Amino acid sequence: MNSSDQEDLRLLRESARTLFDRAGGSGRARKLRDAGGGWDGNMIRELAEAGVFGVTVPEDNGGLGMGLAAGGVIAEEVGRVIAPEPVVVTIGLSLGLLRRLCPDHAKMEQLVGGETVLAVAWLERGPNGGPAEASCRYADGKLTGGKAWVVGASDAQGFLVVAEGDAGPVVVLAEAGADGLSVEERRQADGSAMGELSFSGTPAEELAIGGAVPGALAEAVKDATALAAAELVGLSARAFEIALEYIKTREQFDKPIGSFQVIQHRAVDLNVMCEVAQSGVREALALMDSETDPKARARLASRAKARAVTAAKKVTRDAIQLHGAVGYTDEFDIGLYLNRALVLSAWLGDDAYHRRIWFEAREEEAAQ
Amino acid sequence: MTDWNAMSDAEFRKEVRDFFEAEYPEELRHLPHRPKFAEIEHWHRKLHAKGWVAPAWPTEYGGMGLNAAKLLIFYEEQQRWGVNRGRDMGIQMVGPLIIKFGTQEQKDYWLPRILSCEDIWCQGYSEPGAGSDLANLRTRAEIEGDEFVINGQKIWTTMAHDATHIFMLVRTDPDTPKKQQGISFLLAPMDQPGVEVRTITTLSGETEFCEVFFDNARTPRENLVGELNKGWTMAKALLSFERIFIGSPSLAQNALGQLENFARGRGAFEDPVFRDRFAQAALDVEDHAALYGRFADQLKRGETLGADVSMLKIWVTECFQRITELMIEAAGADGGTIGPLQVGNVSVDVLASFYKARPTTIYGGSNEIQRNILSKAVLGLPS
Ligand SMILES: Cc1cc2nc3c(=O)[nH]c(=O)nc-3n(C[C@H](O)[C@H](O)[C@H](O)COP(=O)(O)OP(=O)(O)OC[C@H]3O[C@@H](n4cnc5c(N)ncnc54)[C@H](O)[C@@H]3O)c2cc1C
Repeated sequence: MNSSDQEDLRLLRESARTLFDRAGGSGRARKLRDAGGGWDGNMIRELAEAGVFGVTVPEDNGGLGMGLAAGGVIAEEVGRVIAPEPVVVTIGLSLGLLRRLCPDHAKMEQLVGGETVLAVAWLERGPNGGPAEASCRYADGKLTGGKAWVVGASDAQGFLVVAEGDAGPVVVLAEAGADGLSVEERRQADGSAMGELSFSGTPAEELAIGGAVPGALAEAVKDATALAAAELVGLSARAFEIALEYIKTREQFDKPIGSFQVIQHRAVDLNVMCEVAQSGVREALALMDSETDPKARARLASRAKARAVTAAKKVTRDAIQLHGAVGYTDEFDIGLYLNRALVLSAWLGDDAYHRRIWFEAREEEAAQ
Repeated sequence: MTDWNAMSDAEFRKEVRDFFEAEYPEELRHLPHRPKFAEIEHWHRKLHAKGWVAPAWPTEYGGMGLNAAKLLIFYEEQQRWGVNRGRDMGIQMVGPLIIKFGTQEQKDYWLPRILSCEDIWCQGYSEPGAGSDLANLRTRAEIEGDEFVINGQKIWTTMAHDATHIFMLVRTDPDTPKKQQGISFLLAPMDQPGVEVRTITTLSGETEFCEVFFDNARTPRENLVGELNKGWTMAKALLSFERIFIGSPSLAQNALGQLENFARGRGAFEDPVFRDRFAQAALDVEDHAALYGRFADQLKRGETLGADVSMLKIWVTECFQRITELMIEAAGADGGTIGPLQVGNVSVDVLASFYKARPTTIYGGSNEIQRNILSKAVLGLPS
C-alpha cells in the first residue's frame, strides 16, 4: 500500500470516528439496545452520506472503489463504539453479493445511498439445531422453506435470499412483510435480534441465477468474515482502553490497582494481543484486495477472523476481571463490549472454526 | 565503494541473498550451537574479504554503512539462510560503543582488530547478584598508576572461554546516591593471571557460557571507553536497534518450517487437535510478522522506535517456545531423544530447538522486565 492510499485511509478513519463520536459513541449503543435492539435510520443515512457503504463498490457503480482495506477501517470504527448499524452486513454481504452478481441493479444504488437495508439469508438450520444442507426452493416467482442466522432481519427492508431454483441456484429479493414470510427473532447477547425466516409461497424477484451464484456468495461471505474481524479489532482496542483507564483510577490498598505488577502484566498482554490482532487483520484485508484465488481469500479471511476472535474474547473477558464486581453489572460499558464480542465472535464462525478453515485452505493451496 | 543504501530494497535483498546462498558453507547452516571461532573462521574470512563483517558500522570504519531499513533486510536474509552470526559481540556491541564514545586512538587500534577477529570479544555485564537488576553490579575497578585493577566476578558470559577480550561494566565509584552512577565501561584482555574462566554446562549439555573471576586483573587506563562513572547511560544508549532485531520473526519462522516438515513426516496432522495447535502457532507467527512489518516501516520512514517495540520480543520469543514444544509433542516417544531425528528426507533436532528457545525469554531483558517497561513507558501505569 503506498503512502497516498495510507493517507486516504487515515482520512476515512477520522471522518468515521468523528461521525460516531458526535452521535454519542458507545452511549448510543446502550440507548438503542434499551429501546429494543434495533438501529438508527438517521445514522444509516449519515453513514451513507459519508460514503461508508460504497467503499468497496467500484466507482462506475456509484461507490468509492477503495477496497476491503477501507471497509476494514470503517468496520474498526463501528466496533470501537459497538454501533448496531449493519455496516458489515451491507458492505460485506448485501453489496458484496450484488456487486458481484448484478452491479447494475437499482438496489445497489439504494444500498450505497442508505435508502434501504437488505439482510442476507443463505444458511439453514437442521433438526439438531446446527447448520443443514440448503433446501429452500424458488419456483414460479415464489419462495418455500426457511433460512436461519439472518442478521438484521427485524429491521431490514428486504432480504436477499439464496435458494435453489429450477435451473440452478438463485439470489432473489423478498420484501419485508411479503406474503407468507414470517420472521422469528432470536435475541442475542448484545440486544440485537438474529432472524429465522420461513417462507410459504413468498413472492420474490429473481436477481441472479446460475453457476456464478455460489462463488459470489462464498466471496461475499469471506469479505464479511474479514470485515467482522476488523469490527472485533476496533471493539477490542476500545475495550482495552476502557479497562486501562479503569485500572489507572480505581484504588485499593491506597494505590491505583494499575500499580500492581500482576495487573500491569495482564494489561501488557492484552495490549500486545490488540496490536498483533490489528496488524494481522489489516494485513489480511489488504492482501484480500489484490487476491483473486478463492482458496487464498478463504485462508486470509479465516486468518483474520481467527485472530480477531481470539483477541476479542481474551480482551473483553479479562477486562471484566480487571473491573471487579462493577464489570459484572450492566451499568458499566465494558459489559456492552463483552456482549457485542460474543455475538460477533459466533457470527460467521469463531476462532476454532476459522483455524480449521485456514488449515484446510492452506493445504488445498499447497496441493494446487 | 558501493552505496548499498542507494539500491532498491529488492535489489539489495537479492545481492545479499545471492552472496549467502553462493558462499555460505553448507555445513554451517542453521548451526544448533554457538560455534567457537575456529569452526567458522573460513566463513569469517570470506565475509571480511567482502567487507561485510559489520553491516551497521559506518563505512569510514570499515562497515557497510547500512541504514536501518537495509540492515533489517541484511539480518532477515542472514537468518533466513541460517547463516551463523559468528562471534559478533565485538561487531554488535563494543564496536558501536567505541565508534560513538571512544577516542581516535581507541578507534584506530580496536576497530580493525574487531573486523578481522584478531580480537574476539565477550560481554561481561551480568553478575551473580546483578541480572535483571544489572545496576546492582559489584565488580570493582580501581585506578593504580596507569592501570585499572579489577576484582570481582562476572557470570553467564557467553563464549568467554573462546574470547581474547572482555568488555565490561564495572563499579569505579562505590559511594554514589544511585547505583546506576559510578559504573564505567572497560575493555580488558582475558589472557592474564588475574582472570580465570570456568565454563558452565547448559541444559542442553553445551558449554556456551562461563563464569569469569577477576583477582587483581589489570587493564591499561586507556581502555576506559567514555567518561569515568558514565558507563551506564552509554551501555543503555546502544540498545535501540537491538530491540527490533531481538523481536524479529525469523527464529520463530524457521522453527515453524521445521515443525511443519517434521509433523508432516510423522503424520501428526492427522490428529485434529495437533492441527489446531499448529494453526494457532502458525497464525501467531504470521500476525507477529505483520506487526513487525509495522515497526520496520517506521524505521524505513526514518522514525525512531518507541518503547512499544518491546512487544515484538515478548510475543515472538513465547511463540518460538510454543513451536518447539509442539515439535516435542509431534516427536511422541522420541521427544526426549538427543540428536537429529530422521523423518523421510528431513532431519530435525527437536531437543536442540527446544533448548534454543528456552533462554530467549530470559536474555536481552527478560520478558517480565519487558512487561514492566511496557506497562510504565507505553501504558503509563503508575508505580
Ligand atoms: C543463554 C544466555 C546467554 C547470556 N549471555 C550473557 C552474556 O554474554 N553476557 C552477560 O553479561 N549476560 C549474559 N546473560 C545473562 C542475562 O543477561 C541474564 O540472564 C538476564 O539479565 C536475567 O538475569 P538473571 O538470569 O540473573 O535472572 P534474574 O534477574 O534473577 O530473574 C529471575 C526471574 O525473575 C524475574 N524478575 C526479575 N526481576 C523482576 C521484576 N522486577 N519484575 C518481575 N520479574 C522479575 C525474571 O524475569 C526471571 O524470570 C546470558 C543469559 C543467557 C540465558
